Amino acid sequence: MRKIEILGMGCAKCNELEARARKAVEELKIEAEVKKVTDMKVISGYGVFVTPAIAIDGVVKAAGRVVSVDEIKEWLK
Amino acid sequence: MDFLYELTIAGLLSLKEYVALHVITCLIPAFLLAGAMVTFISRETIIYYLGATANKVRSFALASGGSFFVAACSCTVIPVSSGLYYAGAGVGAAFIILWVAPASNILAIVYTGALLGSKMVIVRIVSALSMAFVVGFVMSYFFHKEELGRTFSGFVPKGERVIGKKEAVLLILIVATLLAPNYLVQKGPYLHKVYVWAIGMLITFLYAKKAIQKEMIKRWLEETWWFVKIILPLLLIGVFIVGVIGKILPQKWVETYLGGTSVFSSWFATVIGQIMYFATMTEAPFVHKMLSLGMGKGPALALLLTGPGMSLPNILAIIKVFGLKKGIVYTLLIMVLGTFVGWFTGNYVF
Repeated sequence: MRKIEILGMGCAKCNELEARARKAVEELKIEAEVKKVTDMKVISGYGVFVTPAIAIDGVVKAAGRVVSVDEIKEWLK
Repeated sequence: MDFLYELTIAGLLSLKEYVALHVITCLIPAFLLAGAMVTFISRETIIYYLGATANKVRSFALASGGSFFVAACSCTVIPVSSGLYYAGAGVGAAFIILWVAPASNILAIVYTGALLGSKMVIVRIVSALSMAFVVGFVMSYFFHKEELGRTFSGFVPKGERVIGKKEAVLLILIVATLLAPNYLVQKGPYLHKVYVWAIGMLITFLYAKKAIQKEMIKRWLEETWWFVKIILPLLLIGVFIVGVIGKILPQKWVETYLGGTSVFSSWFATVIGQIMYFATMTEAPFVHKMLSLGMGKGPALALLLTGPGMSLPNILAIIKVFGLKKGIVYTLLIMVLGTFVGWFTGNYVF
């Protein structure tokens, strides 16, 4: 099972990113867990300063912008 | 019933005066600029340099200058500054960002200029930067014990450049579009300003189309739309409330408590700014209205600085992230500095 983490302290952009990640998972019809990470200590442990960021299976894929559903799908393939 | 009607009219007039008249030549380019900054400037690179700089004066200067580009509104500043702090950067630099980014962010600066004139903007920027250095030194002095043994562990960003050349030109073009209507058309009908604005916009977009990748232009417009979506509703509500407050607040009251150049007026303005929540940009019309009711210019500046930078919820969030002690020292420090800056500029600058 894939693990998608949305890193961010709970802003409008983080919610949008989470929604897009769920949509990507749904469209690909794969098993994946979408989890929100709001603890800043954990977030900076990933080396991320600029939220929202997305990590797939523990690897940061993008930070500081809301990526598109297509981009997330590409990373999940 | 008549009273309610009058209040509604006051709110609507305020919307016309502060928002409708500024949409084309101020708000549209300002939002486009904020969007472009978020898209084209590598905030990771700025923060990396900031965290890795051991020299205090240098890192404070970088933090103050970089803050203009790191957070375009107060909404994103706590995650950025706390991220920097937890990654091991100095506590001084982290709190400088926390202070400068909202106190003189690009959207607020542009809007303050449109409503209150260029002198107020210049004093606002200079005050925010001077206060930043004091904040940096005081915070590092109070918490120097825990500074020892901290090392910066941020990752090295992929592209080392802060911004590409073509993107920098685009940013300059947007700034020019923003400034030109007001500086080229000092007198004459508003329509002339719109002409200048339209020419600026046309050049900006033609350049963007030619020089910037399509994907990045799309991202830029998306980011711009985000700012509009998040900030505009708050601005509309805020400006309406400003109109209503202006109607019900007795002039006498404003003159007594916020007028003149006394220490008390500046202190009171600072405390209002620290406790009340002002969405980014709403502080400018609020201060403009208060000035027309007899507020002193010094206290006005104090409110402009502390209004968007601090609020009760914001203080609580800072305490949660940085700890009670740092939160309290920072809050008291801003109170002292805000009062001083208001008093000083009121007596010697304005």
